[in-house]
Amino acid sequence: MYEKHSRLGSLWRHAVLLIAVAFAVFPILWMVSASFNDLDSMQFQKLIPPNPTLRQYRDLLTSDRYRFGLWMWNSMKVTVVTSALTVALTALGAYAFSRFRFKGRRVGLLGLLLVQMFPQMLAMVALFLLLLTLGEFFPWAGLNTHTGLILVYLGGAMGFNTWLMKGYFDTIPRSLEESAKVDGATPFQAFYHIVLPLARPILATIFLLSFISCYSELLLASFILRDTNQFTLPVGMSLLISDQFGKRWGMFAAGAVLSVLPFVIVFILSQRSLVSGLTRGGVKE
Amino acid sequence: MKRVAVLVLGLLLIAGLATTASVAGKLLIWADDTRTPVMQIVAAQFTAAYGVEVEIQEVGFGDMRGQLATAGPAGEGPDILIGAHDWLGELIQNGLLEPIVLPGAMIDEFDPVAIDAFLWGAQLYGVPYATENVALIYNKALIPVLPSTFEGLLTIAKGLTDAEAGTYGLLIQQPDPYHTFALHSAGGGYIFGTNAQGVLDPCDIGLDNAGSIAGAVVLDQMVKEGIEVAGADYSLVTGLFYQGKLGAMIGGPWTLPDAVKAGINYGVAAIPTIGGGTPKVFVGVQGFMISAFSANKVLANLFVKDFLVTKEVMLDLYDRGGRPPAYIPALAELTGNADIQGFAASAANGLPMPKIPQMGSVWSAWSDALALIVNQQLDPATAMQNAADQIRTTLGCPTE
Amino acid sequence: MIPSDALRWVLKIVFLSLIAGLAVFAAISLAGLGSPVLAVLPLVGAGGLIYLFLSPRAYPLRWLAPGVLFLVVMVIYPIGYTFMASTTNVGTGHMLSKTQAVHQLLERTYSPPDAARYAFDAFEDPAGDLALVLTGPSGRFLYAGGEASRMLDPDERAADDDGDGRFDRVLATYRRLDFREVVQRLAVLQTLRIDLEGEPVGLRSLPDFTVLRPLYAYDGAAATMTDLEKGKVYADKEGIFTAEDGEEIFPGYRRSVGLGNYLRLFTSPAIVGPFFTVFGWTFVFAGLTVLLNFSLGLALAMLLNDPFLRLRHVYRVLAVLPYAVPAFVTILVWRGMLNLNFGVVNQILVALFGAGARVAWLESAMGARAALLLVNLWLGFPYMMIIALGALQSIDVSLYEAARVDGARWGQQFRRITLPLLLMPLAPLLIGSFAFNFNNFTLVWLLTEGRPPIIGAQTPAGATDVLITYTYRLAFEGARGNQLGLAASISVLIFLIIATISAINFRLTGTLEELSKNV
Repeated sequence: MYEKHSRLGSLWRHAVLLIAVAFAVFPILWMVSASFNDLDSMQFQKLIPPNPTLRQYRDLLTSDRYRFGLWMWNSMKVTVVTSALTVALTALGAYAFSRFRFKGRRVGLLGLLLVQMFPQMLAMVALFLLLLTLGEFFPWAGLNTHTGLILVYLGGAMGFNTWLMKGYFDTIPRSLEESAKVDGATPFQAFYHIVLPLARPILATIFLLSFISCYSELLLASFILRDTNQFTLPVGMSLLISDQFGKRWGMFAAGAVLSVLPFVIVFILSQRSLVSGLTRGGVKE
Repeated sequence: MKRVAVLVLGLLLIAGLATTASVAGKLLIWADDTRTPVMQIVAAQFTAAYGVEVEIQEVGFGDMRGQLATAGPAGEGPDILIGAHDWLGELIQNGLLEPIVLPGAMIDEFDPVAIDAFLWGAQLYGVPYATENVALIYNKALIPVLPSTFEGLLTIAKGLTDAEAGTYGLLIQQPDPYHTFALHSAGGGYIFGTNAQGVLDPCDIGLDNAGSIAGAVVLDQMVKEGIEVAGADYSLVTGLFYQGKLGAMIGGPWTLPDAVKAGINYGVAAIPTIGGGTPKVFVGVQGFMISAFSANKVLANLFVKDFLVTKEVMLDLYDRGGRPPAYIPALAELTGNADIQGFAASAANGLPMPKIPQMGSVWSAWSDALALIVNQQLDPATAMQNAADQIRTTLGCPTE
Repeated sequence: MIPSDALRWVLKIVFLSLIAGLAVFAAISLAGLGSPVLAVLPLVGAGGLIYLFLSPRAYPLRWLAPGVLFLVVMVIYPIGYTFMASTTNVGTGHMLSKTQAVHQLLERTYSPPDAARYAFDAFEDPAGDLALVLTGPSGRFLYAGGEASRMLDPDERAADDDGDGRFDRVLATYRRLDFREVVQRLAVLQTLRIDLEGEPVGLRSLPDFTVLRPLYAYDGAAATMTDLEKGKVYADKEGIFTAEDGEEIFPGYRRSVGLGNYLRLFTSPAIVGPFFTVFGWTFVFAGLTVLLNFSLGLALAMLLNDPFLRLRHVYRVLAVLPYAVPAFVTILVWRGMLNLNFGVVNQILVALFGAGARVAWLESAMGARAALLLVNLWLGFPYMMIIALGALQSIDVSLYEAARVDGARWGQQFRRITLPLLLMPLAPLLIGSFAFNFNNFTLVWLLTEGRPPIIGAQTPAGATDVLITYTYRLAFEGARGNQLGLAASISVLIFLIIATISAINFRLTGTLEELSKNV
């Protein structure tokens, strides 16, 4: 499908991509600019701040009330644990859907998708009461704890991820496991020692997708976490602009800029496996 | 893989630390960002005096009611919360508030309007600390002498307005009923009328009476003459004002700290008469409330009565929030303060913000009407009539 | 490394016995805590586990169980909860259960106008038991061990060591607490109800104990609440104790209304009025969003999949950036950028094309709808690009070579090879994306709040309102504040709609058939 470009062909491709990238990046640049502006207003700022300042970053990182570093650490903790467990749960489930034939398999797979479509408007109340009860017996997993939040996030672990991963497993020839079983391996051992290493790319993909959604999740976290010391980054950041009169746009923008960094690092690190992982997950060979 | 597992396990262990809830013998207070620092100081004093632990949790002002409804009955709520008097109807009907007992002599030390705002029936459900209302805030460099009528103000505003240069004469943030009510009320517009017993009647809706419509026509004129512009929201109006590019705005005490910071020479005054009628503004009262699900009601009462109702705390709250104190001894300290006098002059003709839960259905219909007027998509009379009819429909009242 | 079968069996049996033992222990302790319903849970859980590990038929479930467990608890349970709530009147004024409401009312007290007040001193013995000396108009009383008695003066059990007129010790071992210590015990003191001179006496606020008569009496059989001060009777009326003259006692409580909320949805003119306009736009919005986002994502993916393209890794990272910032942040940034007079987008348009090019992004119906699609495109195309990029690479290159030999042009290759091979695996994700945007509350609420308003609507509704925002307004800004029960029934209804649409989509795209095939 692809061949070497003529000069013209190369030109229009870069032109199109530059426009697309400009579209993607412009609002982000706007945010970056706000973070270097003293003005604290997104409406009167210029793209190049007239008197660039690091004040917003300094204020954010040294504030007693807005404990950015702590929130970032909390977010990383919750996000990494959730993503790792999501990968584990999804791998187990997807393997079953891929390799076993059982009653309810089709319904189960469809159900996984449908269930995620329920409007979450009132789920908060139910989850709140659930964690409250849980907390009475296991205080470390109740409200206002990261464990509780992780448990709630794991509810969304399956769903789309299972579909993606099942597609990938389908492409791994069964003969590999069959021969292992002949050598006396249990199905789990075959899965763990043979299939999982082959599926590394899709594991990385699911990890990244889960990382993104969990890292930027606001609603559930703001309902479950109370104590400022327990806040994840989005909850903490929303404090900066929750005040009806007196939004701290500059600090908010600075926080948003800093919060992008972990994502960019994770994305660059996983770019190669992400791409090839999705490839094989999506398409049967 | 194994290293990941160890990491996960370790993190899980770290994750499950502190939990907090309202526990007997320890006070938990919910405050928003402006009140939290003051509360932390008072909490430290209380702990030093009595050895009782006091914890402050910062909860966004807008989230507090919703969170209390879930957390309170579950025993996870605060003992004391700081909020606005117009929450009362909803919170009391949900059984979330505890009546507060104050000595009569102490009640007399408060602005009677503020005490009245926290009364529901004969019971007091909150201890007020500040009143807040909007007034006309103007830039003295642009408007050296304030005209005595709104019409005069509009003439000046028109002269100051130059959209090309980005300067404006008078802006009211839109679509925002709270800031626009003055226009409607000057000619006799109201939201809910009162019945013979002086109780609000949720089916007597005055948003489409002659006065309300007259106010909407004034707004419409302002737009037609280019004085008011679409998209003028809070941050835009205040932003222009702080840059010295706006002659006057309708705003509350919360806008002043940034105006001082920006070095604007401003004045605060009552909104001048519109068409000969005196504009009325909404008066809101902020105060301390005690949760019905508190395990420490007497302790909370003591905290409020002995540690919060003091001149120092009230003045400290004023310093940080800019809202005029409702506590007379604190207010007396500020008699020389022109800002407070300006807001007080505006509040002299004020109406307490209705505290019945039916208000919820008023805001969005009314905002919609204002949006249509400002966008020039509907004439003011029809817009207000539609809004009033929408509210009647939502509340199940007969429509005319 | 691989243990023998026999050893595995033994381990399994030991493990399962341990689980069973733990479950029985947990059940007994839970039952002891007074929650028999909860006590059943560990038993059911353990039973399920044992079945999972012993029955060969349940074998596949063993793999699914961990994920499904979380799914059931954190997703399906809330759905069930929402469904239950949809059959009640829960909402403002009806938040508490009837038990909670009755309990709260029974705790209310009143003090008669001439009620006696009692100053008090508190005492504590080394074991931590409290005693009180209450001084009222008719004399001094000693309260200890749950009973109050008049003190005989002088009383040998009380001693005033320093002669200041207040006792320093009572009952020999109880020493007087200073005020600081009293404050620390207020939580206990406030729960005391002391029977004194025929009246219940308690501490409502410092400094005095006072007569606190119960304000209400509840008649469980007749389900009526009686105000003992006024002698008025209130009976249940739609979840609020209401007197015959219409006076209500707050708080009310939640009660079942059966399918009442659903009936309201279908019959109330306030709700049905703008429904079809809103529904139509919701459908268009979700459909166009998927179409636009997928088109842009796919186009970029095809360009960036080109191994001959220089800098493609840089482009990829830059293009995926919108995905990296939480949406609630960037939506607010966009809102500022789209402001009519002050937004940078219009400033650029005016600079390029003159004053006439200004677009009322948030003020006009078409502008706001376009703005919504534009911002959603910005938010959503990176995801589409990522998944399309992956799927593209897997298409067998030899297919294109064969096509080229047959003389197929680029357009034909795209239509005959690329698109069908992409759509098949991506269809479930696209359907999911449609469903997500059908319910995209955050975007609409933060960007336009559903505005601009639809002129002449019977209830507040806007040109960019999707079903979920429209009904949110109805449910949360309704007659008496929040109507959570109504909101719940709306959630269920929206779910039914979206599930039906998805089912149709599944059939149209052949996903179901794909599933049934064995690999």
